[in-house]
Amino acid sequence: MAAAIAGVFQPEMQNLIKESKVLLVGAGGIGCEVLKNLVLTGFSELEIIDLDTIEVSNLNRQFLFNKESVGKAKSHVAKTSVLKFNPNVNITSHLGDIMDTKYGVAFFNKFKLVINALDNKKARSHVNRMCLSCDIPLIESGTMGYSGQVEFIKKGVSLCYECLPKSEPKSYPMCTIRNTPKEPIHCIVWAKFLFGQLFGESDEDVSVDQTVYDGTETKVSARQWAEIIEYDPKKLLEKIFYDDIKYLLSMESMYTGKKVKPVLLEPSFFETEVVEYRHVLDSEVLTLEQCKSMFLDCIVSIKQKLDICQNKSLVWDKDDDDFMNFVVSSSNIRSAIFNIPLKSHFDIKSLAGNIIPAIATANAIIAGQIVIHALRILSGKYERCQSVFLRELPNHKGQILVKDKFLQKPNPKCMVCSTDGEIVLSIDINNITVKQFEELILKKKLNMVAPDVLVDGRMIISSDEDDELDLYEKTLAEAGVNHGSRFSVDDYFQNYSIKIMLQHKEKAQEEDPDFEIFGNLEELNTAEKNNEAEPEENDEDCLIEKDESCVERVDDDLSTSDEQAHDMVTDKKQEDDSVIKEDMMDSDPEVIKVDQEISNEEILAMKRKADEASEDINEAKKSRVD
Amino acid sequence: MASEITNNGNGEMSKEERKVYDRQIRLWGYDGQKKLREIKVLLIGMQGLGAEIAKNLILSGVNSITLKDHTEVSILDCCSQFLIPRDSQERNRAKASMSAAQKLNPNVKVIVDTTPIEQNVDSFVTSFDIVIATECSPTTYKRLSELCRKAKVKLFIADVYGLFGYFFQDVNFKHNLYGEVFLDNDKIYTDSLPAKIPRPYFLTSALLKFQSESNRKPNPDTCEEDVEELKSIVNPILDQLNIGNNIFDEYYGELFCELSPTTSIIGAMVSQTAIKNAMDKPIEKYNVFFYDHIEHEGQFHLL
Ligand SMILES: [Zn+2]
Repeated sequence: MAAAIAGVFQPEMQNLIKESKVLLVGAGGIGCEVLKNLVLTGFSELEIIDLDTIEVSNLNRQFLFNKESVGKAKSHVAKTSVLKFNPNVNITSHLGDIMDTKYGVAFFNKFKLVINALDNKKARSHVNRMCLSCDIPLIESGTMGYSGQVEFIKKGVSLCYECLPKSEPKSYPMCTIRNTPKEPIHCIVWAKFLFGQLFGESDEDVSVDQTVYDGTETKVSARQWAEIIEYDPKKLLEKIFYDDIKYLLSMESMYTGKKVKPVLLEPSFFETEVVEYRHVLDSEVLTLEQCKSMFLDCIVSIKQKLDICQNKSLVWDKDDDDFMNFVVSSSNIRSAIFNIPLKSHFDIKSLAGNIIPAIATANAIIAGQIVIHALRILSGKYERCQSVFLRELPNHKGQILVKDKFLQKPNPKCMVCSTDGEIVLSIDINNITVKQFEELILKKKLNMVAPDVLVDGRMIISSDEDDELDLYEKTLAEAGVNHGSRFSVDDYFQNYSIKIMLQHKEKAQEEDPDFEIFGNLEELNTAEKNNEAEPEENDEDCLIEKDESCVERVDDDLSTSDEQAHDMVTDKKQEDDSVIKEDMMDSDPEVIKVDQEISNEEILAMKRKADEASEDINEAKKSRVD
Repeated sequence: MASEITNNGNGEMSKEERKVYDRQIRLWGYDGQKKLREIKVLLIGMQGLGAEIAKNLILSGVNSITLKDHTEVSILDCCSQFLIPRDSQERNRAKASMSAAQKLNPNVKVIVDTTPIEQNVDSFVTSFDIVIATECSPTTYKRLSELCRKAKVKLFIADVYGLFGYFFQDVNFKHNLYGEVFLDNDKIYTDSLPAKIPRPYFLTSALLKFQSESNRKPNPDTCEEDVEELKSIVNPILDQLNIGNNIFDEYYGELFCELSPTTSIIGAMVSQTAIKNAMDKPIEKYNVFFYDHIEHEGQFHLL
C-alpha cells in the first residue's frame, strides 16, 4: 500500500490516508473496485457493509468473487480477497442492511468519510441523511453501462443527494395493464402481477381482473381459486387465456375507438400436444405453442416450490428460472391475444427484471475517481470535488471523463439538508388511510425509516409500537386531518424532520395521481394552472369502475428485489431501458446523442446554471446517469 | 495447461458463459461478446497498470491473454499490483500474477511469457490481434509502434506516473506513430502539433525524456532530485511557449509509483477502448488520452 512507502505522498497526506477511518457502503460492482483502490492506496481502517450474497451474473465485473464464492456474503468474501494482496489492513465486514437501526448515529460517527457504492435510491437517501446529520463527507457514485458519475456531498458545502428531485420509476395505469395492453411491457408487468396473484401473498386488495373466480357462489381471490383446482396447469391456462379474455370481450364498451380488441385463441390451442422448447436460445423468440408448453411446465415446478415452503407466498425473482419462464410464457401468450409482438426470453428478462447492463471498466473508472475525490476531501480541498461524469463516448472535444465547472451549492429549499424545509402534499384525504400515508408517502416516497407524525400538535403515527394509536385503518380525514393541516414529521433514527402542508384535492378519476408533492404552494398553483390549460388529451379514459384502494398505478418495480443493478445510480428503471437500447444499437460514434429522456433533475440543474451556460456542463449532464 | 478448461472460441457460447456475461451482453449484445471471444491479446508489463488491464480484459471474456514480463516483483508493486499475493514465493511478475489472473475467468486462456520483448523477433507481434504495452522504455515503445503499424496489429501504449497517466493508441494506422507524437530529442514541442497543445502533453513528454535519460521512472526514494530533473526538462519548453513555470507545481508531488486510483482509471480506459475496437466500434479519431489527476478530467486528443 502506497501510503506505507515514504515519498509516494506528501507526509501530511500520507498520515491522513493511514489514519482516516472510511466506511464503504456496498460491495458490488463499484464496491469491489473501490475496496481494492482504498487498500492499495494505503487506507488501513476500513469497514464495509453489504446485505447481498454473490450471484453468477456478478462475476463479469465483481472481480473479488469467483465461482466458488457464489452464494456467500459479498462483504466477507470481498474482505478475504483483498487481504491476499494486502494483509496489513484493518477491515471490518458487515453482512447487513445499512438502513438497519443497528447502524445509527454512533456507528456513522466513527468515520472520517463515507463512500456510497449502492444500487438503490432508498439506501442512498438514507446514507445521505445520516451523513448530513453527523456532518460527515459522503462520496456518492453510480454506473450504468458505459457511463457513470461521482458526486461529493457535504452539509452546507454542496448539493445533497436529495437537493434536486429525482426521476420517478415508470408506472402504468392499471386499466391498461388489465384490459388494454398495447406494448410488450404491459403484458410483462401484467405477468409479474399475475404471478403475485397466483403464488404471492393472498392480498385481496387488488385482483388481476374483474372475473368472479367461481366454482362456488362467493367471490374468491385468484390464489384461492388456484388452490381449489390444485394449480391444475391446463385449467389455469384456459381460465387465464380464454375465459378471462372472453369476459373482457363481453364488456362491449371497453374496446371502443382506437383500442385493440383481444382476439380469442382457437379452442384447439388448448387441446394440442405439448412441444419441445428447451433447446431454443434465450435470444430467440418462442412460438406460441412453445410458450404454452413452457407455461404448463413452469406451473408444475412453481407449485412444487409452493409445497416446499408450505404454501406460504413466493416472491417473484428474475433469477429463478421457473419464475422467469412463467413471465416469459404468460406475457407472450397475452401479447399474442392482443396482437402485440412476442419477445425473447433475454429481452423479457431485461424488462421484467429492470436489469441495468454493467461492465467492469466503467466501475473501475468511477472507483478510481472516487479515491481521488477521497484524497482531495481528506486534505480539505472541497472546492476541487466537483461532480465527475463518465460519458459513454467522448464529446466533440474528446472529453470522456468530464467534471462540473464548480462545486454546486446546496439548494436552500431542500427538504432534507435545509433547516426550514417544508413541502406541500396534495392528496385526497378521503381516499388514503393513515397506514397508506405512512407506507407510500413517508417511507416509500420520502425514504423515512421510523417516522413520528404530529398533525396540528396531535400525534397520528408513532414509531413506538407501545403507543397504540389505532388510527392505521382510518382515512386521513377520519384521523382529523383537514385541508391546510400541517404535519410535523420526525424520523428520530435518521435525525431528520420535515414539515408537510396538506392540500386536499379530490381524486376524480383513476388516472389522477394518488398524490403530488410540491416544494411550496406556488409550485402547486402553477402546476394546477398548467393542467387546466392543457386540454385533456387522455384517450385512455377507463370505463372500468374503480374498485379499490389508492394503489391504482402499477409500479414497474413491483415485487422486484433490489438485487438488480448493483452498480446503478438510481431507480430510474424503465426510462433507462429505452436509453440503453439506444446505446446498444449505436453504431456511429461520431454522433453526439441526446438522451431521449431528460429528467426533472437535469432540467432544473440546467436552469440553475443558465448563467454559466457552459456547453461543457450541459454536455456532461446529458451523460449523467441519474 | 489452461486450455483444457477454457471454452472460449470453441463453438457456441455455453449456458454458463451466457450467465456470467449476462450483464455485459445486455450492453454489447451476443455479437459483441462473440467477437471478444476471438481476440488474442499480448499484454506487456505486469505492474499495477498491467494488473488492471489484465483484470478487465480477462473479465470481459477475450480469447486469450499473454502476460509478458521478465522483471521481478518489487516493494513498489504493493501500491497497485493486486494480482500478486503478498505471500507469493514467485519472483517473476507475470508468473506471480498468473494464478489470480486465471481465477478471474476460467474461460480465458491466460499465458505467461517471461522473455523480454527486446529479445523477440520483429514478427512476434503478428500472432496477436491487439498489443498493449506498459512499463517499457520509450525506445521499445517506438520499435513496437513501427512493428505493429507494419503488421497492422492494433497497438496501445499506456503508463501511469503516480496519479497521472496517459495512453497512446494506433488502431486505424492513420495517425502519427508513437515516436512522432513523443519525440526523443531536445525539442519536445514541434510546429507540426496542433495549435492548442494540451498541457498534460508537456508533462508526459518530460516524463518520457526523463525515462530515456535515467533509464527509469521517477522514484519515491529520490523524489526531490527527480522533481528538479523534471523541472529542468519541462521549464525551458514552457518558457519558449510563454507558459508560466508553475502550472505543474501541484502535479510534481504525486508522480511516483503507479498509484491505484489512476491505474484503475487508465487501465479501464485502455481496456474499454480495446474492447470497443474488438467489437468494431473504435474510438479512432484520436491517438492520445490523458488523465489529469489535478483537474480530474480524462480527454482524448489527436496529436
Ligand atoms: Zn439537500
